[in-house]
Amino acid sequence: MRVPLVPPPASAVGRVNACCEGPLSAFINLERISKSFGTFKVVDDLDLEIAKGEFLSLLGPSGSGKTTILMMLAGFVEPSSGAITLEGKRIDHLPAHRRNMGVVFQNYALFPHMTVAENVAFPLVMRGVSKTEAAERVARAIDMVQLTHIKDRKPAQLSGGQQQRVALTRALVFEPNVVLMDEPLGALDKQLREHMQLELRELHRRLGLTIVFVTHDQGEALTMSNRIAVFNAGQIEQLASPEAIYDHPETRFVAEFIGETNMFAGKVEARDGARTKIRLDAGPMVEAYLTTEFASGAAALVSVRPERVGLSETSNAANAMPVKVLDTVYQGDHMRVRLAGSGVEMVAKVDRKTRAWAVGAEAFATFNPDECTVIAP
Amino acid sequence: MMSSAMRARLRALGLIMPLMAFLLVFFVWPLATMMVASVTDGTVRGVLPQTATVLAKWDGEGPPTPEMAASLVTDLRMPVDSLAFGDAVRRLNSELSGFRSLMSRTASAAKGAGEGQALDLVAIDPRWGDAKYWLAMKRAMPLYTDRYLLAAVDLERDASGNVAGLDANTSANRQIMLRTFLIAASVTLLCAAIGLPYALIAAASKGWVRAILLIAVLLPLWTSLLVRTAAWFILLQNEGLINDALKTIGLISEPLPLIFNRTGVIIAMTHVLLPFMVLPIYSGLLTIPANLMPAAASLGASRIKAFRHVLLPLAFPGLMSGSLLVFMVALGYYITPALVGGANDQMISSVIAFFATGTANWGMAGALGLILLVVTTVLYLVYGRLSRSPTMVAT
Amino acid sequence: MSGQTSPILRIAQIVFGVAVVFFLLAPIVAILPLAFNSSVFLNYPIESFSSRWFGELQSNDMWRRSIVNSLIIGSGATIVATVLGTLAALGLRSSQLPFASAIRTTFLMPMVVPAVVLGVGMQMLYGRLGLANSYLGVVVAHAVLCIPFVLVSVSGSLNAMDPWLERAASSLGASPTRVFRRITMPIIMPGILTGAVFAFATSLDEVVLTLFVAGPNQRTLARQMFASIRENISPAVAAAAFLMIVGTLCIAGLVGFLRWRSQKALKPA
Repeated sequence: MRVPLVPPPASAVGRVNACCEGPLSAFINLERISKSFGTFKVVDDLDLEIAKGEFLSLLGPSGSGKTTILMMLAGFVEPSSGAITLEGKRIDHLPAHRRNMGVVFQNYALFPHMTVAENVAFPLVMRGVSKTEAAERVARAIDMVQLTHIKDRKPAQLSGGQQQRVALTRALVFEPNVVLMDEPLGALDKQLREHMQLELRELHRRLGLTIVFVTHDQGEALTMSNRIAVFNAGQIEQLASPEAIYDHPETRFVAEFIGETNMFAGKVEARDGARTKIRLDAGPMVEAYLTTEFASGAAALVSVRPERVGLSETSNAANAMPVKVLDTVYQGDHMRVRLAGSGVEMVAKVDRKTRAWAVGAEAFATFNPDECTVIAP
Repeated sequence: MMSSAMRARLRALGLIMPLMAFLLVFFVWPLATMMVASVTDGTVRGVLPQTATVLAKWDGEGPPTPEMAASLVTDLRMPVDSLAFGDAVRRLNSELSGFRSLMSRTASAAKGAGEGQALDLVAIDPRWGDAKYWLAMKRAMPLYTDRYLLAAVDLERDASGNVAGLDANTSANRQIMLRTFLIAASVTLLCAAIGLPYALIAAASKGWVRAILLIAVLLPLWTSLLVRTAAWFILLQNEGLINDALKTIGLISEPLPLIFNRTGVIIAMTHVLLPFMVLPIYSGLLTIPANLMPAAASLGASRIKAFRHVLLPLAFPGLMSGSLLVFMVALGYYITPALVGGANDQMISSVIAFFATGTANWGMAGALGLILLVVTTVLYLVYGRLSRSPTMVAT
Repeated sequence: MSGQTSPILRIAQIVFGVAVVFFLLAPIVAILPLAFNSSVFLNYPIESFSSRWFGELQSNDMWRRSIVNSLIIGSGATIVATVLGTLAALGLRSSQLPFASAIRTTFLMPMVVPAVVLGVGMQMLYGRLGLANSYLGVVVAHAVLCIPFVLVSVSGSLNAMDPWLERAASSLGASPTRVFRRITMPIIMPGILTGAVFAFATSLDEVVLTLFVAGPNQRTLARQMFASIRENISPAVAAAAFLMIVGTLCIAGLVGFLRWRSQKALKPA
């Protein structure tokens, strides 16, 4: 419903949210950052702007460079070239302990020889905060995450979820410029992870935090972020709001990495404003919206999400392909239907209530031109 | 501005530097001193410095020159430590017999004559007219020599400078090396024969049984070597517990000779070194998943086959590194043979200690030490290789 | 593994296991009662129980002095080895150190070089440096042998430490010095103490180097026991051995306790 037909240019992308209304200003700026270990380029000439108050997820497969970027922000890894600025000031040569950034580590990295309260007090002690003030702030912070009853325990005596909350509290208590999180929910079981996602979102909204969140879990990124940067091979494939990333992936990698998609190869035939006709290699003609410029006759891919594919017995929709049902799988909240016909195969997720489709049944697979994306092959 | 990698490197270097310097001075330097001693011979040179200089210029052809005679007289007139002089004469005598009388006669003549007075050496002793005595002296002069290294393996240089075997009854170093090797090998084999089944049993057992089996290995390891050797001394002596027990049950009437002989040395060394065999095998076996043997059995392997093809290959790396460790440590053993062995059970370390503290023959002590050091270092490097990639041996 | 072992094999295993345990422990157990024997012979049977040989350790000048020397030299060697070994272990951990593995191998060499070889070299060098027959010389010689144990122990606890803890501390505002003092140091402390205990035990048991570099004034307990076994076998050796075994058990207990405590603190319950 809120899907823009043509996504706005990347510089202005960003879901308007209670926490960050008004124009986005570059709070942290990464400019032409590269990092190589030996001959291997982990990060390759990358630019990234982070706005104050936003929840930015760095999403990508392992080895795509997302963690390296986070480590550079934290000051544990030095870029081979390029500049990082915070509010206009270079910070890339600043040692980690002078950056004032809160980091939540994948394994929490709680100090095993200190109690919960001592762990949380650590950054305040390091900053020379007076004892009484530190005690007060620690008590308040621990109370906020409801850990007061275990404040004198050692980390080894805590459950995974409790450790996670202590790590988070420790990274927030000194009011850092930014909170950097390296897959902080990865070690939790599914239920707890989903609960913590909502808790983190709530914390972000309430405290107006700037959060950079590294994850390889697309669901996590879609749930929590204002913006998502999809990483691949040391570069950002697409940087946009979760909706734009999901509904209008700009590259084949993004379309395939996020969610599931049906992909048809074809050639751009005729252009009519934003609407384009594409002749699939398998034969049928498909109408779709263009997000980027394509010359007539250029090779292109049409991506359609399975849940955007409709099934009906008759159809006069713009995009309707006669197909045969190959297989149906019951998935609880929907039916997953595998279809073949018109020289292509595809998957549709259909509402169970509409109709039960028998294997071998003939039907039309339909999809709205607004809901398919044309991308370069 | 310095990169953080550079700073980290400097910090690491700064941290290891104190130990590096300490070990250079107190570990590497002593070993180097010993090595240098094994190829240095200053006995004659130190007593006859001028003669050494003059002889170095002499080509060895033709008759002895007056210059040589003059320098020898000058050297002999210098006040000298009688011990050092005795060493030098012995050294010369070992090159060519006759030097003992020749040198003492010449020295007293040189000292007896007035300062600055020229002496006719041939008149004192006609042997000085013979070039072979000067040649022998020239051979004993060089600062660097291979004679100790050769002597360490029972070799010497004859008058013409060729390497030749030493007289069989002059030295017995080869025999001692062979003995050292045999004792170390027997101890290694015994440790393997006891240690392998013991480790297999320990790895297969559970609960308190395993705890006792392990404590039995660890407790001796923790106990002072001297305490253990003293304990064996008590057990093995003629009136010791073992002989008493055997006499009581009537197996023997006369005490078995268990101490001050090879049996005692091997028993005590096996006891001391057994933990070094058991622990590597045991820790190797622990990495084997508990269900591997049943898995092998379910694949149709008989119990013996499963043992031979599954368990043994997995125990093999531990057995190899344990054997190397035991052998390496056994080679340099000193205390146990010194206390429970007899005269014919002394290993190379005892001979080194004898040369160093008994006769102050640093050259021989150094040469034998060098051989032991090289062998041990090579074994250690092989050991390091093996224990880094344990699978290498298994395949 | 021993699930369906045949009874004969099982009995053979038990007999073999018991025999080896006996072989390993019997000598150590056998020497203990002799410490309380009133006889002047270091032998069974025990005539009557007495503590005269412990009195001998106290009153005999040679024995008393050797115990004091062992404590002095052991403490000195432990301090030198622990400081140098801990620093080196910290340095060797860095990924930026070139030839780290070769350096580590070299640092561990004193553990394998035969003591007699090192002793000969030290005796020659000490003569030149004027360290022969001095406490400093013996302390240094012992420290060389003790260093590998400290290095292995401290490296072990550094390897076991979560490498992210130090990064976490610096992200929370701790300078490198404070990271070391407040995080690294407390966490590897059990490893350092274990290394120190091993170092002390090594020094206490050292004979060979002492033979070469120590004078009569630096005669240690181990050296005195060596001489006593070799020359005039006195039951005072058994009394000294008793003290050493009891000391060893205490030390082993201490190390066990330290390991247990550090594991409890570092591993989740």
